[in-house]
Amino acid sequence: MDFFSALSLQALKVFAYLFTREIFKPGDYLFHQDDNDGNAFHILSGIAEVARKDESGEFCLGKYGEGEFLGGLALLGDMRRLFSLKALTDMTCLVMTREKFTKAIEQFPDLMPRVLETMVDRIRSWEERLFLDKDGLCDTCRKKVGVSLI
Amino acid sequence: MRKTETPVVKRSLPSWIRSSSFKLQALLLLLILITVFARVLPLEMQKRIVNEAIRFGEIQMLFLYCGYYLAAVVIATGLKYLISALQNVIGERALADMRQALYHHILTLPLNFFRKTQPGLVVSSLVTELASAGNFVGMAIGVPVASILTLFAFAGYLIWLNPLLAGISLSIYPMVLILLPRLQQQANKANKRRVDKTRTLSGKIGEAISGIHEIHGNGSYRIENRRYDKMIEKLYKIRIVWNLYKFSVKSVNNFFSNLSPFLVFIVGGYLAIKGRLDLGALVAFISAQEKIYDPWKELIAFYQVYQDASVRYKRTMEYFDEVPEHTLEPDDREPYELEGSIEVKDLSFLAEGGIQLLDGINLSLKPGEQLALVGFSGSGKSTLAQCVGQLYKYTGGHILLGGEEVADLSKKDMINNIGFVSQTPFTFEGTIKDNVLYSCASKLGSDEIDESDAMPSLDDMIEALQQTGIFVDVLRFGLNTILVYDEHQGLASKIIRVRDHFKREFGEELADYVEFFAEDNYLYHSNIAANLTFGSPNVESFTLQNLAVNDYFLRFLDKADLTRTLLALGAELCRQTVDILGNLPPEKVFFEQSPIRADELDEYKMLATRLAKTKLHHLSPDDRTGLLRLALRFIPGIHKMVGMPSILEELILEGRALFKESISKDDPGAFTFYQASEYIYSQTILDNIFFGKTKTVNPQAEERIDQSIIQVLIEEDLLETIVEIGMEFQVGSKGDRLSGGQRQKLAIARVFLKAPRVLIMDEATSALDNKSQARIQSLLDTRWKGQSTLIAVVHRLDIIKSYDKIAVMKAGRIGEMGTYDDLVAKKGMLYELIYGKKASI
Repeated sequence: MDFFSALSLQALKVFAYLFTREIFKPGDYLFHQDDNDGNAFHILSGIAEVARKDESGEFCLGKYGEGEFLGGLALLGDMRRLFSLKALTDMTCLVMTREKFTKAIEQFPDLMPRVLETMVDRIRSWEERLFLDKDGLCDTCRKKVGVSLI
Repeated sequence: MRKTETPVVKRSLPSWIRSSSFKLQALLLLLILITVFARVLPLEMQKRIVNEAIRFGEIQMLFLYCGYYLAAVVIATGLKYLISALQNVIGERALADMRQALYHHILTLPLNFFRKTQPGLVVSSLVTELASAGNFVGMAIGVPVASILTLFAFAGYLIWLNPLLAGISLSIYPMVLILLPRLQQQANKANKRRVDKTRTLSGKIGEAISGIHEIHGNGSYRIENRRYDKMIEKLYKIRIVWNLYKFSVKSVNNFFSNLSPFLVFIVGGYLAIKGRLDLGALVAFISAQEKIYDPWKELIAFYQVYQDASVRYKRTMEYFDEVPEHTLEPDDREPYELEGSIEVKDLSFLAEGGIQLLDGINLSLKPGEQLALVGFSGSGKSTLAQCVGQLYKYTGGHILLGGEEVADLSKKDMINNIGFVSQTPFTFEGTIKDNVLYSCASKLGSDEIDESDAMPSLDDMIEALQQTGIFVDVLRFGLNTILVYDEHQGLASKIIRVRDHFKREFGEELADYVEFFAEDNYLYHSNIAANLTFGSPNVESFTLQNLAVNDYFLRFLDKADLTRTLLALGAELCRQTVDILGNLPPEKVFFEQSPIRADELDEYKMLATRLAKTKLHHLSPDDRTGLLRLALRFIPGIHKMVGMPSILEELILEGRALFKESISKDDPGAFTFYQASEYIYSQTILDNIFFGKTKTVNPQAEERIDQSIIQVLIEEDLLETIVEIGMEFQVGSKGDRLSGGQRQKLAIARVFLKAPRVLIMDEATSALDNKSQARIQSLLDTRWKGQSTLIAVVHRLDIIKSYDKIAVMKAGRIGEMGTYDDLVAKKGMLYELIYGKKASI
């Protein structure tokens, strides 16, 4: 989890301790679109699907599996989910809640800038990959990118 | 009658003396008169003992006079005690009355007042500053009357004894009377400064404590300490000056009082040597003169108390001398039952400092119509809602509620017709039920919640809980209750029936989420103690906390070869937990998954240091108990810092059989073993229904469990019973045992239960998840539409489609108003709010 790579050993122990292990069954939602659940998930086993629902129906945006860390941004502050995350198979995840994260990061205040740095770097390189992959980006989409400009 | 009563803040300090019990004050005076007599008598006796009894060798006379002397002393002492007791009663009564009246007054003050007033200040005013005023009222009649009378009695006696000497020794008092008030004035000035400084100080403390999150968050300890320290230093100087003046009053007084014996010795001595004064008279004079000093000292002390009390009292009352904006109850009529129409005409609201928060607002709602107020933050939407709800007094224009001007209505009229849910609702310490009934109880004005027929029934309450979606939470509180054997035997047997039913219907489906109690399996979600005893203790000595010091149990552990392994496990738990949590603050989040409780951390930290230096078998018995206690608490499913040694698992399973065997023989009543036919009183209702423990806190799983439990409880007709138990859940101070969402739901439930004609919701659903928000919105659309007029301040724009009118506010004005479709079609401000600025170009 590179999200936590910036942490010192002592902080890492605390964070590792605060994660809880949860199981999900096929069809269970890890989180729902529009919810402000504030959880982050590290997938230990199983596959989950990211989907978004609007007037025209539900469409799948991608799949995530073992070893992926999802939802780190939600730990940092209030955020209503733009997607739902649904378990496709039996899953085991480590879960961190925003409450625990905030309380813990208060104890290690010098970590916050480094966590933010990691976050910024992830957003930037995510958009960079988008540009490198020229074929996958249509012209209209190209005009709308610019997340890293925020 | 109400009108003529002076508000408490306008009352003078002496008015409290007048209002205190006349009978008590009269009794006090009577006692004082007797005391004065009893105080003078010994002096005369003293003279007679020397002059008549001793000089003439009259033994009988000696006994008689000594008898009088003794009686006078005894009576004076007894009366003195009675007088203090009476003064105490009068003073404390006055203090209690002051505290009540001032508190009642403070609660009615306008919200604006509390914006600039820290809670700490109110606390110190009510608790500390008034105490001296109460003290004064108690002394106000007794002390001066007693002292002055005694003073005059002694003075008269002195003059009677020897006019010349009396004149000389009394001559000093006028001097004191000139000097003291001047000094006291200075002391008063310092005292005023002290009261003000203490007030800002308590305000500062209050601010720091309520903003403690911000201080921790910013690590701004130094800034805060500096501010506080500075104030304390100032207060320190003021207090020193104040006390110095106070002492100087005392010293000056002392000095002059001690001068007078000096004068008497010189003059009286001279006269005695010359034979113009008999010795007995001189002795009597000297002791009388000494005694005159006592009432004088009391008088001066009283003077100081009076000065101090009046300074504090005035300063306190001046601070709270503001007028409530609205009367509490109408004087000359019954409270109105208004129809729910709302008419706002040319409304404006100027906040202090001349800031225009609302300007030229016009709108009108027919009974049952629903209005959504939207707009950017700071546009005045909340202010408008609060003006309609009479929380702020508007400065211009009109708000007509059912045709009546809101500014002129009493609070009682408002609460009878309006339900207000604020943005940050407050939950009060007490049960869920107290909080749900809060609005209804205050509408009825009754103090007793249960007795009144007009109060909502259990069904009504449950309906309100369901409407707001807090029903499941309350059910959970009920399910998490541990029943008490003596009170709930009937319910326990019903729950066993539910247990069977549940197992039949959902046992298999929920097997992944629940670990059922099974005699042959190790239970990873129960602690080691439960795994060993496999039952719930019926006697105090076998409870989890006592098990580690229970001799029978310790011998059993030895016999089952468990002691060493458990101690080693305890040591490992201690080391690992201290390593992770050692430097963290005692917050609930950190200790939820820890076998060491927050309050035990320091203890185990020291134990961990000793562990590093000492071998296990060299540890002190206390340390061994501490480690064993940890090990017995260990739940592998929750306490993840240490893995469960598999050898221990097998040993424990063997031990379980051994324990059952031996305890059944030695102390058969000590445990109720886990069996499907027995209720387990040490476990929650939920665990009893499961006959096991949940393995998960995942909301999905919990929801599925809740659904199945609700279904079974409905079929067994127990749902209401459990919810009723859940409603007795104590929410904690400020509701801190509830989540933000739960608090908001509770606040909505209490207003729904009141079913007011006009409903004002100020972002009332902002802390709720989507589902709950949607549920409440759909209720507003169906059940309340046409019933109650609704003004809702709304932040999220996806829920406003169904409102009759939408008002978009900007900079204190209504920019546009109409139905959702009209406004969107117009592509004006609402469109801009929904789709963003760019898109509208």
